[in-house]
Order: sequence, then structure tokens, then C-alpha cells
Amino acid sequence: MKRQYFAGVDIGSTMTKVVIMDGSTLAAVIGPTGPEHRKLANRVMEEALDKAKLAFDEITYLVATGYGRINVPFADKQITEISCHARGVGHLLPAARTVIDIGGQDSKGIKLKAGRAVDFVMNDKCAAGTGRFLEVTAEELGVSLEDMGRLSLEAKNRVEISNTCTVFAAQEVVARLSDGVALPDIIAGLHEAIATRVYGMVRRLKIEREVALTGGGAKNIGLVKAMEAKLGFPVLVPPEPLLTGAIGAALLGKDLVEKAAEKGETLKTSPRRLTEASLFT
Amino acid sequence: MAYVAGIDIGSAFSKAVIMAKSGVIAYEVVPSGGNYKITAEQVIEEALTKAEISLKDIAYTVATGYGATSVSFSSETASDISCLARGVYYLFPNARTIIDIGGQFTRVFKLNDRGKATAFLLSEKCAAGSGRFLQVIARVLQIDLEDIGELSLKSKKRVDFNTGCAVFAESEAVSRVAEGAAREDILAGLHRTLAAKIQTMVARLGIEPDCAVVGGGAKDMGLVKSIEKGLGCKLMLPEEPRIVTALGAALVAWEKVSKGG
Repeated sequence: MKRQYFAGVDIGSTMTKVVIMDGSTLAAVIGPTGPEHRKLANRVMEEALDKAKLAFDEITYLVATGYGRINVPFADKQITEISCHARGVGHLLPAARTVIDIGGQDSKGIKLKAGRAVDFVMNDKCAAGTGRFLEVTAEELGVSLEDMGRLSLEAKNRVEISNTCTVFAAQEVVARLSDGVALPDIIAGLHEAIATRVYGMVRRLKIEREVALTGGGAKNIGLVKAMEAKLGFPVLVPPEPLLTGAIGAALLGKDLVEKAAEKGETLKTSPRRLTEASLFT
Repeated sequence: MAYVAGIDIGSAFSKAVIMAKSGVIAYEVVPSGGNYKITAEQVIEEALTKAEISLKDIAYTVATGYGATSVSFSSETASDISCLARGVYYLFPNARTIIDIGGQFTRVFKLNDRGKATAFLLSEKCAAGSGRFLQVIARVLQIDLEDIGELSLKSKKRVDFNTGCAVFAESEAVSRVAEGAAREDILAGLHRTLAAKIQTMVARLGIEPDCAVVGGGAKDMGLVKSIEKGLGCKLMLPEEPRIVTALGAALVAWEKVSKGG
């Protein structure tokens, strides 16, 4: 039988992620989404194919997910990020019952049962409690986003950030800096603010252990620790927390193909042409 | 001849109003900056110069607003809510609903027929309902805050925003500019978003005519028109909507002086 390959394309608000899998992950590429990159999912796909040393027509099935999933003209199917995250986390961390995903412009909580999403909560209306909050405030502090986690661990006297709104918190941070408050103490306060906000939302799901933390937020050790302090127990973090959605998309594609094969059907696929999305029709 | 002063130190702008028996004789508006004490001295100094008097001619000064306690030369401080109500009642005795669009938050008040504030709502938790939203987008579009209103009125094809959050709206505006949308159309969309937020507040409190709009946001004609359209009624607009609270403070001061003899 011909070898089968499955691709997952996750177009997030901030990052575009592509994985190619057979049973395990063969290639993974993470690139920025950016305003002008929304239509360029084809470029990231091309890079992933190069890495996996595959031609596009060797891909059996391709599933797109994430907020920009409609901008993937060569996808065979679009599936919501909630389902894909659930499938991805279920595969990578089978013990997880709750997923907390802190993304670049949203945050969500997903309840899992047998690797499937049974309930979820989501905030994409307000920048507070998302990666954007940290991005904006980091810029005010003149600290790169990657350094925020490490720096916050040096905090001795965490500052309380009293504003929820990102715009006002950014002002507050500047005021604290001019008060002479140490940088790590402010950053720890920012992580605490995000953790409070996310925890307040996710607890509506009745959090069950184990909890997996995913998304860009899970790459920030300070934020991970702040979340753990809120939860009162350690969380599980996948090896590459940005990829769970794309991995889940690829696996859901595989599930669909296998199910169809059992019934003796073949699934309709899009032409294997790497084209740019046209955003305006 | 007796003079009194009202000083309103807001988060974005500081205002001074000098009154005599005949009414307002001078006022000044300056950006607040980081040091309220210095800003207060600066704004009164400029108003005094306009009035051609000096600080010792002022019999009584009432300070109000965010930085009221930083005004070193004030005789007393008063709450900005009571000063605003006072100022609006003086200008528009028939106003029962007041929308105050400030730099940091928007407030909606109800006034009774004696000019007392009976209920109010504050949008303090979120920049989306305040003048701060306008500042954020003005920066993206590289236009002066003062020019927003006029430019937005030229819009032919409003570009609506998908978000109510000022931070997300900022990135949306950047995307729309990159896609070639006209600035006036983006501004018209921004006004719609902001007006919708303000309308919700007004609706929660219950609108009662007449309705007045004050604060820095009221200088933006595009925003005022958008709110009027949304509420379906005409809004009363002071000549200088930013000084109404300072005017109210001056009126409180005037009352003190005339009572004290």
C-alpha cells in the first residue's frame, strides 16, 4: 500500500504552523502570520514539504485550522481550532483532561474526554489575558518577549497590576518603572495579571487534572509558574506548545481518511497546487 | 472686583476657568504631562495672563479632577462629578442626561431638575469606551487628534471594525491601512465602534432628554454625529466641551465667595 502523509496547517493570529505526519511528526515549520502573511500559507507549506522531502501530491489529506483557516485555498477540509487542539493534546499528552491555550490574540480552555473536546470557553474579544497583553507591556518595558519569563523569575517583590485593560496596564507599567520598581517585579505582576484573567475564565469549565498548557504562553516559564500557582498543581507542557493545533489537524485528517477507507470510500481532495489565498473577492 | 478660579486636572488635559460676577472671563486648556503640580501652575498662569490679572486677585480656587490634590494654590478640592454636574446645569439647565467622553474613561450621568447628579456609569475598566481609543487609532493613522472629526465626516464607505478592544482595533487599523482603506473610512468605523459602546452605557442608565455631551471626545464632530445617529436624538454641545468640569469648580468657588460675603 502507498505510504500516507497527513498535513495540518494552523493559521493563528500571530503565527502560522504547519506539520506533516505519517504516524509521527516528519516536519514542522512555524512562521509569523502578520497582516501581509495571511495569504501566504503556501510559503510555509512549501517549506514544510522541503523539510519532509515530499512533493505536495504525496500528501494524502490536508486539514486547515486556526482563525485564518479559510485563507488556505489548498486545504481539503477546515476544522475549528478547538477540535484540533483537543485532538493534538489528546495525542501528545493522553493524561490531560483540561487544555489551557494562551495564544497571541486569544485564550481558551477546553475540556477533554477520550481525546475529544466536550466543552470550551474562549476570550478573543479583549486583549487582556492573551499574548497581546504581554507583547504590548513588554514593549513599554523595552524587554523582548522571549526574556519576560526568565526575568520574572528574579522577582523579589511582585507588583500588583491594578488595570485589566491592556492599554491602561501599559500606562501603569510605565508609571511603576518611573517609581523605581525593579523590572522583574513588574514582569511578575504582568504574568500574575494574565494568569488571574485566564484562570477566572477557564475555571468555569470545572478544571480537571491533568491540565495541559499550550500556545505561545506556555513557552513563557514565568507565566507557566503563575498559572501553576493559581491552579495549585503543576501543568503539563508539550515539547513544542505552538504545534498542538497543527498536529491535531493532521491527525483529524488521518482519522477521516481511515474512517472513509473502512467504508470503502475515498475522500474528495483539493487540487495539490500551492496558491496564495485571495483575501478580497 | 472679585475673581474665582476652577482648576480641573484630568488624566490627559488640565483646564482652568476664571470667573467674575459677569461670568467666565478666561479659560485655558493644557496637556497634563507627568507632574500635576507644575501643570496646575502652568494652566492657571496662562489663564491669568489672558484675564490680565494675577493669582492674588483670585479670592477662591476650587480644584477637581484626577490630580486635584496636586494643586498647591487651591482653597479646597471638590469631586469632579459634582463639578461636572454643576457646570452642565449652568450651561444647559434642561439637560437630564450627560455623556462625558474623557481621555481615560467615559461617564454617563443623570441630572435632576435641580442639577444634582442622581445616577452615573463609568467605563473605567476598558479603554474601548474612552478618548484613549481615539488616541490609539490617531497614532496608527498618523493624524492629529483634533483633525479626526473633520476628516471622518468625509467618509464615503465606512470600514467597520470586528473588535471592540482598543488593542485589537489598533492591529485591525494597521491591516486596513495596508489593504489601502481610506483613513476617513477607518475613522468613521472607529467612531461607530466607540459610539456603540457609549450608547450601551446610555441605554443601561436610561436616556432622558435633553442630552448633552461634554469632555474632550465631544470636540470630535464625527463621534458626536455618530452618537446622535445611534441614539436618535440631537446632543447639546458646549462651545468648549473640555472646560465644563473646571467651570463647575469655578461656580462652586463663586458660591463660597458670595456666601462668605
